Amino acid sequence: MTVAALTRTGAEVRRAAVEARARWGPGAWLAVGALLLLAAVPFASLPGVRVDALANTLYLALAATALGLTVGSAGLPSLGTGAFMAIGAFTSALLVARSGWPVEPAALAGAAAALAAGVISGGVVRLRRAFVAVSTWLLAWLVWLFLLAFPSISGGSQGLILPQKTLVGLEPTPTVHFEVALALLVLTALAIAAARRGAPGLELSALRQAPALATALGVSLAARRLAAFAASAALAGLAGALAVQLQGVADPASYDPFLSFKLLVAVLLGGAAATLGPATGIAALGLIGLVAGPLARLLHLPFERFDTAVAAILLVFVLALGGEGIVPWLVGLVRRGERPRREAAAPAPPAAPVANEPVLRATGLRKAFGGVVAVDGLSLELARGETTALIGPNGSGKTTALRLISGASLPDAGEIELAGRDVTGTRTASRVRLGVARTLQTTSAFTELTALENVLVGRGVRRRYGGLVRAALATPRARREAGAAEDAALQALALVGLERDADTPAPELTSSQRRLLALAAALATEPDVLLVDELAAGAGAEELDGLAAIVERIHERGVAVLVVEHNLRLVRRVADRVVVLAAGTVLAEGSVAEVAASSVVQQAYLGTQRL
Amino acid sequence: MTIALQVLVSGLAAGGVYGLFAVGYSLIYRLTGIVHFAFGDLVGLGVFTTLLVLAGTTPVSRAGATEPRFLLALLVGLLLCVLAGIATYVGLVQPYLSRGSTVGWVAGTAAVAFAIRAAIGATFQRSSYVFPDPLPFHDVGRSGFVHLGGAQVQARAFFVIGLAVALALASAWFLERSRYGRGLRAVADDAEGARFVGVPVELLVALAFGLVGALAMIAAIAAVPGEAVNANTGTLLGLKGLVAALAVRFGPPLHAFAAGLVLGVIEAAIANVHLGGWQLGPSYREVLPLAFVLLLISLRPSPEALEERE
Repeated sequence: MTVAALTRTGAEVRRAAVEARARWGPGAWLAVGALLLLAAVPFASLPGVRVDALANTLYLALAATALGLTVGSAGLPSLGTGAFMAIGAFTSALLVARSGWPVEPAALAGAAAALAAGVISGGVVRLRRAFVAVSTWLLAWLVWLFLLAFPSISGGSQGLILPQKTLVGLEPTPTVHFEVALALLVLTALAIAAARRGAPGLELSALRQAPALATALGVSLAARRLAAFAASAALAGLAGALAVQLQGVADPASYDPFLSFKLLVAVLLGGAAATLGPATGIAALGLIGLVAGPLARLLHLPFERFDTAVAAILLVFVLALGGEGIVPWLVGLVRRGERPRREAAAPAPPAAPVANEPVLRATGLRKAFGGVVAVDGLSLELARGETTALIGPNGSGKTTALRLISGASLPDAGEIELAGRDVTGTRTASRVRLGVARTLQTTSAFTELTALENVLVGRGVRRRYGGLVRAALATPRARREAGAAEDAALQALALVGLERDADTPAPELTSSQRRLLALAAALATEPDVLLVDELAAGAGAEELDGLAAIVERIHERGVAVLVVEHNLRLVRRVADRVVVLAAGTVLAEGSVAEVAASSVVQQAYLGTQRL
Repeated sequence: MTIALQVLVSGLAAGGVYGLFAVGYSLIYRLTGIVHFAFGDLVGLGVFTTLLVLAGTTPVSRAGATEPRFLLALLVGLLLCVLAGIATYVGLVQPYLSRGSTVGWVAGTAAVAFAIRAAIGATFQRSSYVFPDPLPFHDVGRSGFVHLGGAQVQARAFFVIGLAVALALASAWFLERSRYGRGLRAVADDAEGARFVGVPVELLVALAFGLVGALAMIAAIAAVPGEAVNANTGTLLGLKGLVAALAVRFGPPLHAFAAGLVLGVIEAAIANVHLGGWQLGPSYREVLPLAFVLLLISLRPSPEALEERE
C-alpha cells in the first residue's frame, strides 16, 4: 500500500521534473538569479538600507499580490484588503501577547480569522462592481473604527506590545523576517500564476468579461469569485499576522482604511493583470516614499500625510493615462506580436449511433411577464440523435421557451424532466452540468481570450480537479486534466471548422465565426441536449451548407439538438421534426413536409390573405 | 422616558445630517451608477474652507462667528464645495464611466477622498477644532440646553432637525416639480434615452454633483458647532450617509433621508439606552450599524444589486 503510493509519487515527481526541464529557459535562469540576488540583500549590509523596512515592504507585497487575484482576475475592485491584514494582525498579536502562543500557529490562526471574515463578507462578490467597492470600503472602515472603539482589544493608542518569540526556530531578526516574507511571496506568486493559467483564472476572467455568457456555459459566478476573494483575504491575513510580529507592536493607527487604498494603488500601478504587478507596484510606492520623504521635510509637511497625497495623485495620473500598469507595459515592450502555432486537431469520430431515446421532456410550460403570457402550455420532447426545430413568427415565445429549458428563467407552471429526473427548479449552471447547453442569441465571446480559451471556459463544468487550490498547487491530476481539457476543446473547435483559429484572439474572428465559436464552447460542456439560438442569423446563402453540415455532425454524435431558427432553408436541411409556436402555444408539430403543408401554419406565417 | 426623549432629539438631529448625505449618495448613484467615495471629504473640504476664511488655522472662540465675515466664509466654502463636486465628476467620474472602467472611478474618487483628508490634516494640525457658532444658541436656556420634561436637550438640535427636514423636502419637491428635477429623473431613468431627446445629460449630472455637496454642507455647518471637528469629520459624516443610503439600496431621496434619521436614532440609542442594567455603550455606536448593513448587503442582497447574468 505505502510502497505503491510512494512509487506513484516518485513517478509523478519525475514527470513533473521532465515537464519543468522541457519548459526551462533563459527566462527561468534569470528569475532564479534575480531571486538569489534579492535573498542576499540583507547580508550585504548596504549603507542606508534598513532590513526591517524591506521585510515590511515584502509583507505588504504579499498582501498586494493576493489582492491581484481579486482585482486582476476576478475584476472586483476591493478596497478592504487592509481590513483583512488588520484581522490577521490583531488575531495573531492577541494570541501571542495574551495567550502565549508561538508565532507560527498564531500567524496561521490570523490567516484563518481573515479567511473566515472573507467568507462571511464574501457574499458581496455576487454583486455589481459598484456594490463590491462600497461594501469592501465599509469593511475597511468598520475594522478600523472597531479597533479605535475597543482599546481593550486593540491596545488603544499604544497598541499591543508583543514579546519577542522565535520565528521558524530562529531569532526573529529583520533578516529572518525578510527571508520568510520573500519565500512566502515567491510561493504565493507561483501559486497565483498557476491558478491564473488554469481553470480558475480562465473562468474568473470569463466572468469578468461577460457574466451572462460564462453563466450560460455553466461557470458558477458565486463559487469562483468567492474562492478568489477568500483566498486573497486569507493571504492578506497571513501577511498582516507576520508583519505585526516584525514590528513588535500591533498599532491600530496603521490599519487606517488608507492601507487598503494603498494596496489597491499598488496593484493598479504595477498592473493587476500580471502576477508580479502588485509586488512591483509596492516597490514603486516604496521608491516614491524615499523621494517624497526628503521633499516633504523640505516643504515642512508631515511625512505620513504627504505619502498619502503622493499615492493618491499618482494613481489618478496612472488611471487618467488609461495605463495598465508597469509590468504589462514592460512585458509589452519585450514581447511583441508573438503568437504560438499549433497543429490543427481533427474532430473525434462520432460515437456509435444511438437509438432515438427521449432525453428531455417538457410538459405544460407556462411563463408570463406581467400580464403578457409569453409561453402557455408548451410541451416538447427531445430525443438523442434527433434535431428539432422551433419556429414561429417574431414574439411567438421561442426564445422564452429556450430560456425555460436552459434554466435561465424558471417556469410559472409545468415540468421539465431530464433523463427521467425532474430538473424544473434548477438554474442554468447546474443544468449545464446535467447536460443541457445553450448558445446565446448574441454573437458575444470573451474578447480577451483566444478561440481555444473561449471553448475551454465551456469545458470547465467537466473538470473535477479544476478548483482554486488544486490549480494553484498544480497537482498531477489537475495538470493531466488540463491537458485533456485542451484536447477536448481543440476537437470541439475542429467540429465547427475553427481548428485553424485556435490561437486567434476572439475579436479577430468574423461574426459568423464567433457564432460557431459559441457553438463549440457549448459543445465543450459535453451536452446531451444542445439548444441553439439563431445559428443562421445574418448568414449568407453560401454559408448555409457549412452550417447544416455542422449541425449534422453534432446530431451524429447522439446529441439531442433544438434549434430556434428564422432561416427556414436551414430548418428544412437539418430538422427531423419541426415545432411551430404562435402566441406561446404549439400550433403544429411534425416533419418538415407535414408542417409546411399545414393550413394553420400557413395562416400564422402568411396571415389570412390569399396570395 | 426622559432618556428616550433625549435620545430621540439628539438622534434625529444627527440623523438629519446623515440623511442629507444619504440623499447625495443616493441621487448620484441613481444618476450615474457610481458611489462617490469622496463625497464626505468634499463636504469636509467646504467646512474647513469656511473655517479657514473665518478664522485661519488658529483655534477660535465662539464669538468670532457673529461677524459679517461669517457669511462671506460660508459662501466661499459652499462655492468651493460645489466646484470641487463638479470637478470630481468632470475629471474623475465621467471619463471612466464613458470608458466603462469601474476600477477607474472607484480608485479616482477614493484618491480624492484621501488627498482631501491629507490636505485638511496637514493644514489643521491640531487634533480638533471648535467651529464658531453663527447662531446665538449659546444664549438659549442654560448655556444652550433646554429642559424638556426633565430631559436636557441641546437647543441647536431642534434647529438642525427642522433645517434638515426642510432641505430634504425641498430637494424632493425640486426633483419632482422643477424643470431641472424632471431632467435629472429622466437621466436616472434612462441616460441614453434622455440624451437622445436632447437633455444635456453631462451638464445636469455635473450640476447635481455640485448641488448635493452644497446640500450636505449646509446641514453639516448647522450641526458641527455642537462638537469638535477635525479632518475625519467630513469622512465620518460621509460614511454614515453611505451606510444609510446603502441600507435602502440607494433608493429615492426621501427613503434615503428617512434611513439617515433612523440611523441617527439607532446610534443615539446604542450609546445611551440602558435596558435593565444592560447597556451597549458609546463604543458600539459607530460599529454596530455599519456591521449590520454590511452583513445585510452581503447575505441578503436585493436583486438589482446583483451582477447581471442574463
